[in-house]
Amino acid sequence: MRLPLAGLLLFSAFATAPAFAHHSFAAEFDAKKPVELKGTLVELEWVNPHAWIHMEVKDESGKVTRWDCELGSPNLLMRSGWRRDSLKKGDVIIVNGSAAKDGSNLANAKTVKLADGTRVFNAGSSGDAGTPGAPVQ
Amino acid sequence: MCVDKVRFNSLLAPAFCLAFCCLTPAPARAQWLDYPTRGIPRNPDGKANLSAPAPKLPDGKPDLSGLWLGDQWSPAGRRPNPPGNARPSPPEMFPWAQKVFEERRASQIKDDPEARCMPQGVPKASTLPYPFELINASGKLVMLYEMYSLRREIFTDGRELPKEFISPSWMGYSVGKWEGDEFVVTTAGINDQVWNVDLAGHPHSDVLRVTERFRRVDFGHMDIQVTIDDPKTYTKPWIMPVMRYTFLPDTDLLEFVCEKNIDPQHMVGK
Repeated sequence: MRLPLAGLLLFSAFATAPAFAHHSFAAEFDAKKPVELKGTLVELEWVNPHAWIHMEVKDESGKVTRWDCELGSPNLLMRSGWRRDSLKKGDVIIVNGSAAKDGSNLANAKTVKLADGTRVFNAGSSGDAGTPGAPVQ
Repeated sequence: MCVDKVRFNSLLAPAFCLAFCCLTPAPARAQWLDYPTRGIPRNPDGKANLSAPAPKLPDGKPDLSGLWLGDQWSPAGRRPNPPGNARPSPPEMFPWAQKVFEERRASQIKDDPEARCMPQGVPKASTLPYPFELINASGKLVMLYEMYSLRREIFTDGRELPKEFISPSWMGYSVGKWEGDEFVVTTAGINDQVWNVDLAGHPHSDVLRVTERFRRVDFGHMDIQVTIDDPKTYTKPWIMPVMRYTFLPDTDLLEFVCEKNIDPQHMVGK
């Protein structure tokens, strides 16, 4: 499959850490490592306790890497407007979130949007993604 | 139904019906997600009237039934604390408990069994970003939690809590009684696989006794005041910040089976 041009941006910008995030976030992800991933959806995995976006990201040298991005639970996602078919394999998406502390290609997603700007989703995660279940407007 | 119109053999009929259903367009209304709640007060615009008076049971006590979501997780946000209920001081722990508390905080509670899909226990299960439902039943109030599909039975048939628990459980054993307009629930017998009584990570021992005072303020709002009494862990009973809930109309609990958590393998703590 031909991959669209996609960029991977890792920022080391300062961000305010949550006062005390849910352990599954704070033990695993670093709120001070924001990440923006643009790539192609391989699968929206609709499982509890967290749904996952599996995607392929091509960097500037053309190297393709697989990233896994944690979302909220399917129930939280559904209550904020997601459906299990909201994203389709091959969709070009942009995920904003926080990178994993262990350095793996893993992130906690805050927002997910289609690259053409048609839809934006709150990722509904229980980490520091804001109010779970709240639609992004 | 298709079975009436076509004579299949009995094995093929279900398969045909399944295929038929899959090809039929889904109804516009999402299954159970936004089904209107019957018999609740509504404003002229059709929305639930959350400030209507609290409903009553036939015996005159407040009716607590319904779906409830913690205010901090709802788009409307948390209501301010009631007067006189400012955030209490941190509880005073005995040295062993302080050590455990600090160790777990230092590792961001990464080894909490909850992260491996185990139940959160009482009262922590009531502090999470999912609704729970209260259902009146004969001799008990049933509490169904959406998260991890947990449930509690709060017995109101006059029984006392056992003196000893031969099998401490994840969600403990609960009895409830009315004190005026407050439903007072006492819970004990919570096992040691439940690490914390709250999201901050406060530990407990086998003598933990949790008191939850439920008060339905009006139709749309309920408070639960929790007291933690654990004389092996804390120097004296302590009161948590009041937990505030808003009625969640026009939806139902959804199933939540914690089937696949890949987080623990990536949890590094600090």
